[in-house]
Amino acid sequence: VPAIGEAQSDAYGRLLPPPAHTKTTLLILGADGPLGRDELIRLLDGGRTSLEIAIGGMLFALLFGVPLGFVGGYFGGWADAAVSRVTEMVMAFPLILLLVMLSVRVSSTLTPIALQPLIAPGVFAVSLLIGIFTAFYPARLVRAQVLTLRETEFVEAEHMIGASSWRILSKHLLPHLAPTLLVWAAVAIGTNMLLEVGISFIGVGVQASTATWGGLLSTTWGTIYQPQVYSAAKFTIWQTLFPTVVIMLTVVALNQIAEGMRSALEPWETA
Amino acid sequence: MRRVLGFAIRRTAAAVFTVLAMVTLTFAIFWMIPGDPASFLYPNTQHVTKYEIKRADHLLGVDRPKYVQLGDYIWHLAQGDLGTAWTSIRVNADQKVVGLPVAPPLINAARVTGSIVLGGVLLVLLFSIPLGALAARFSRTALDRTILLVTLVGICLHPMVVGLIMRTFFGDDLHWLPPTGYCNFLHGSAAPVAPQNLGINAPTTCGGPIPWTEHLILPWISFALLFLAIYTRMIRTSVIETLRQDFVRTARAKGASENRVMVHHALPNAGIRVLTMVGLEIGTALGIAVYIESAFGMEGLGRLSVSILIGTLALDLPEILGVVVIVTLIVVVGNLIVDILYAVVDPRVSAFGTRPKETLSGRVV
Repeated sequence: VPAIGEAQSDAYGRLLPPPAHTKTTLLILGADGPLGRDELIRLLDGGRTSLEIAIGGMLFALLFGVPLGFVGGYFGGWADAAVSRVTEMVMAFPLILLLVMLSVRVSSTLTPIALQPLIAPGVFAVSLLIGIFTAFYPARLVRAQVLTLRETEFVEAEHMIGASSWRILSKHLLPHLAPTLLVWAAVAIGTNMLLEVGISFIGVGVQASTATWGGLLSTTWGTIYQPQVYSAAKFTIWQTLFPTVVIMLTVVALNQIAEGMRSALEPWETA
Repeated sequence: MRRVLGFAIRRTAAAVFTVLAMVTLTFAIFWMIPGDPASFLYPNTQHVTKYEIKRADHLLGVDRPKYVQLGDYIWHLAQGDLGTAWTSIRVNADQKVVGLPVAPPLINAARVTGSIVLGGVLLVLLFSIPLGALAARFSRTALDRTILLVTLVGICLHPMVVGLIMRTFFGDDLHWLPPTGYCNFLHGSAAPVAPQNLGINAPTTCGGPIPWTEHLILPWISFALLFLAIYTRMIRTSVIETLRQDFVRTARAKGASENRVMVHHALPNAGIRVLTMVGLEIGTALGIAVYIESAFGMEGLGRLSVSILIGTLALDLPEILGVVVIVTLIVVVGNLIVDILYAVVDPRVSAFGTRPKETLSGRVV
C-alpha cells in the first residue's frame, strides 16, 4: 500500500499515473524529480524543517549574542575590546565560508543529536552553526544600546541602591532591548531561511531524505559542484517555482512583521 | 590632511592585526582538529606506518613547536610567500619536498571574482540610486510600493537559482551570451590550475575586453538582483530621513526645485551611507560569488575556497591558510579604502572611526 505522497513507478523507475481508485496520492503539484515523491507533501514537510532551522538558528544566535553584547557594552574596557574585535573579524569573513569550514568537520558529531521524531537529524547541527555565526548581529545591537543605557539616570540609581550587575542587566536593561531584538529576530528568521538554501546548495545541509525548501531547490538544480542545467526531460519549472514562491512568501511575511513591529515598538524610527 | 594620514596609519595597523589574528585562529583550529598530513605524502597507502607518519610530519614541518610553525608562516607571509600546497606535494629524488605553490591559482581566481563583484556593485549602484531616490520622492504612493515590491523579489530568489535560470535561457537556449566560462580582460593565457580544480571547465585561453564583458553580463545581473532590494530600500530610507532635515527646508525655502534638492542635498548624504554599506558587505559579496561562479562555471575565488575548505583527503593547511589570508586581505583592504574615503568625503566626521548607524537588515545568504 503506497503511503500518502508516494507515486508508483514501473521497473525502469518511470512514474506511473496515480491509480484511479485510490485517493491516497495527491500529487496536485506533481512529483519532485526522479524519485517521484509528492511535491506538495515535500513542500509542506520541508517548510516545517526550514522553519525549525531558521527559528532554531535565531534562538541560538540570541542565546550566544545577547550575553556577548551585554558583557561588551556593560563592562567596557578590555572585555568590550575583545568582543568588538572578535565580532568585527568574524563579520568581515564571508559567512558561508565559515559555515562550510566548520560544518564539514563538526557535523558528523552534531548530526546524530536529534529529538526524533520531533526534530530530524541534522537540523540541530545546521541551526547551531547558523546561530554561532549570526550571533554577532544581536551582540552588536545589544552592545550599542547597553553602551548608551549604561549612562542613564535609572541605571545610576540602581547602582546607588546597591543592585547587582546581574539584577540591573536582567531586570532593567533587558526590557529596553526587547523591541530591537524582536525586530531583529523576525528579520533573522527570513535571513536564516535563505542561508539554509545556500547551505543546501553547498551540499552540507541536512541529509537529502529530509525535505527542506533549500533541499528541494538543490535536488533540482544540483550543488555548486554539479550544477544542473535545465532540461525539459529531467524536471519541470514547478520544481523551482513552488519552493521559490513559498520562500518568497515567508520572507516577505517576516519582513512585514518586522516592519510592523518596528513601527509599533519604535514609532520614532519609521520612515 | 595630517589627521587623515594619522587615521590611515592607525587603520592599517588594525588591518595587519586582523590578518595575523585570522592566521593564528586558523592554526589554532588546525591544531585542535586531528589532521592526517601523512596521507598527502602517501596517498595510495592503506596503512601508514608510524615511521612514515613521523617522516611526513618532519618533511611538512608539522613536528616543529607550534610557535615556530606560526612564526615561520608569518615570516614567509611577510615576504609574500604562501607556501606549497600539500595536495600537490611529492618527494623527489633528493628526498626534498616539491609541489605547486598556493598563491598563483588563488590570485588568478581572485581576478575572476573581482571582475564579477566590481561590475556587479557598479550595476547595483547604477540602478539602486535612481530607484531609491524615485521611491523616496514619491514615498507612500503606488510608484513607491511598486518599486519596493519588485526589488523585493530579488532577495527572495537564491542567487544560484537566478544564475542558473539566466544561464539556461539566455545562454544555453537563446545563445545570446556565452553560458559558462570566463575570459581574461587583456589577453588569453593558460590559467594556473589548483589541485582542487574539479575539471569542470578547461583553463581559459580567450581574452579581450569584448569577450570579457560578454561572459560577465549574466553574472553581473544575477549578482545585482540580490543587492538591488537592500540598497534601494536603504537609499530610500536615507533620502526620506534627509528630506526632513532643516537644511532641506532651507533649500526649499530659497526656492530650489525638488530635483535640485534631491540631487544636491539629499543624495550626497545617502551616498555616504551607501559607501559604508559597500565596505561592510565585501565579505557577503564574496560569499554570493560562490553561487554565481558555480552557476556560470567559473573558477573563481569563492568556489575555489569552498572546495579547498571542504577538502578531499585531509586538511591541507597551506591552502586553507592561503584562502583565509587572501579573503581577509580583500575584505580588510576594501574596508580600509572605504574608511579612508569616508574620512575624506564626510566633513562632519571629526573623530575618525565613527560610522553612521547600521541598518538592521543584516546579511542575506
